[in-house]
Amino acid sequence: MTALDHAEIRAMGPSLTESLRRRYFSSPGNTAISLVGGALLLWIVWTVLNWAVFKSVWTTPDGTSEVCKGIDGACWAVIHQRGRLIIFGLFPYEEQWRSTLACVAMLITAILSCVPWFWNALRLAMLWVVGFAIFYILMRGGFLGLLSVRPSEWGGLTLTVFIYAAGILVGMPMAIAFALLRRSELPVISGFIAGLIDGVRSLPLITILFAAALIMPFILPGWLQGDKIWRVIFGFGLFFAAYQAEIIRSGIQALPVGQEEAAKALGMSYFHRTTRIILPQAFRNALPPTINQFVITFKETSLVVIVGFFEVLASGNAAYGSGEWSFAYVEVYVFVGLIYYVFVFSLSRYGAYLERRMRVGQH
Amino acid sequence: MSEVAIQIRGMNKFYGTFHALKEINLTVQKGDRIVICGPSGSGKSTMIRCVNRLEEHQAGVIEVLGTELNDEVGNIDVIRRDVGMVFQHFNLFPHLTVLDNCTLSPMLSRKVSQAEAEKTAMMYLERVKIPEQAEKFPGELSGGQQQRVAIARALCMKPEILLFDEPTSALDPEMISEVLEVMVELAQDGMTMLCVTHEMGFARQVADRVIFMDKGEIVEEGPPEDFFNSPKEERTRTFLQQILSH
Ligand SMILES: Nc1ncnc2c1ncn2[C@@H]1O[C@H](COP(=O)(O)OP(=O)(O)OP(=O)(O)O)[C@@H](O)[C@H]1O
Ligand SMILES: [Mg+2]
Repeated sequence: MTALDHAEIRAMGPSLTESLRRRYFSSPGNTAISLVGGALLLWIVWTVLNWAVFKSVWTTPDGTSEVCKGIDGACWAVIHQRGRLIIFGLFPYEEQWRSTLACVAMLITAILSCVPWFWNALRLAMLWVVGFAIFYILMRGGFLGLLSVRPSEWGGLTLTVFIYAAGILVGMPMAIAFALLRRSELPVISGFIAGLIDGVRSLPLITILFAAALIMPFILPGWLQGDKIWRVIFGFGLFFAAYQAEIIRSGIQALPVGQEEAAKALGMSYFHRTTRIILPQAFRNALPPTINQFVITFKETSLVVIVGFFEVLASGNAAYGSGEWSFAYVEVYVFVGLIYYVFVFSLSRYGAYLERRMRVGQH
Repeated sequence: MSEVAIQIRGMNKFYGTFHALKEINLTVQKGDRIVICGPSGSGKSTMIRCVNRLEEHQAGVIEVLGTELNDEVGNIDVIRRDVGMVFQHFNLFPHLTVLDNCTLSPMLSRKVSQAEAEKTAMMYLERVKIPEQAEKFPGELSGGQQQRVAIARALCMKPEILLFDEPTSALDPEMISEVLEVMVELAQDGMTMLCVTHEMGFARQVADRVIFMDKGEIVEEGPPEDFFNSPKEERTRTFLQQILSH
């Protein structure tokens, strides 16, 4: 078909006004519904804009909530005043540049892992281990004259990012190991792993976090306990792994047996068959549920508050909880909600991008 | 030249209680071209899959290139590197390009350098007449092209023996000849080949011996002239009539 044909066809198709008319005003009933709906939509948009933008207060010159007295709109001054608490928790004020840098390092790591050059198990693992190490070292300090800040003093969005990234970093290798071991030909091994996965899945995350934070110290010998945050991260990773393992296994089972056979027939070792043939394809197959699991896991980080960690949502509560700003809770929740939204939205966009890319050459 | 490539003695194979292969005896010299035929379910695939131990046998002896295949065989992967296999459904790796399909195992298993592996791969892709498709993904090729890539992929390991399991039966008729052509050339170059196929023209043209299997047994075995012109067994005659009548 030539370019001319395309142009002609487009010219013959309905114009914008024509298609609008057909879709929304094709009958008196439809017209009425469209008008009422349109008016309602306009009213909602107008009200929200009025509240959020036109009648809102953005800054507080004296640090108090006086500026928001008697206004109709949103009091964003609370974010101006308490935003740092939401982002950094109780991290020492003068050291918050470290938190910022640490988050930037994480962000760069996340962006780099979208670059196809890193799409190989070794490179991706190296990237995340390095990114994570930079994050941890910056946050922890205690060298080169940097003030040492224990993880128990971390908080806010930074802590959320830390627990999430660490949980997945710990959980993903476990998930892969579980998925592979569950397919073991030895019934003892596959049965044990199946039992473990079912066991973990049957427990609520809260129980696991409680057990990791409060019960483990009584059971484990001292040298194995580690810091509370690490136990919580391990519990979090284990919970993630139990679900992700089944997702990966479903991806493996969707592969034709011929794939593994062909790799065997070429004399590839178990390790190479698994890392080069089976897992890459299994992850492709399992991409949508994997992204889903990542999103769910991100939101579940908010549960660590029950074992005493002030992640972003808990910090948000603290931000308006102190008498003075207590009227501004809607603004705080909108802000925290926006943070979650930005994260989840980027993740789902990234997933869609991966899916598009992977469809190339796969029919 | 009469070096033994494959020796099978008194081999039996069971799937649970089902006796899939019964007392199989077969000797293949290096350079032999053997065609295996027989009705569906007669155990042809099972037999050649035992040769690279994709299936394990329960009794008897299988020796491949001087090594006996049993539980003690230290590293079966090492033997599989010398025994290539071409499957009915190609089984190319869909997430890798044609070139990567061909270079992956040589680089990982034989520790060949990338440059060397790519050179070899291009040589074999040329030999199967599709060098121009090297950068494509398998899903972008026709069935016949995919099967030729699969043959090139197997050749890139420089195997001593090539096993074919009905390499043309999943292909549209017009693509069968392009694959057979490649196989004939391989045979003429002296490759040791074990082919399960119903392409009797191919068998007449290149086979040293034709083996007829039925119900898990080798019923008859002989050079193609004798096999096609004067089959000794009744079962062979019936089978040949069926297969040649269309
Ligand atoms: N994994 C298995 N489990 C149980 N029985 C099997 C299995 N694989 C094959 N069989 C049985 O073993 C017998 C031989 O199968 P095989 O695939 O070797 O036949 P074939 O000669 O290759 O047939 P076809 O021409 O249809 O490919 C068949 O009866 C089949 O049902
Ligand atoms: Mg078969």
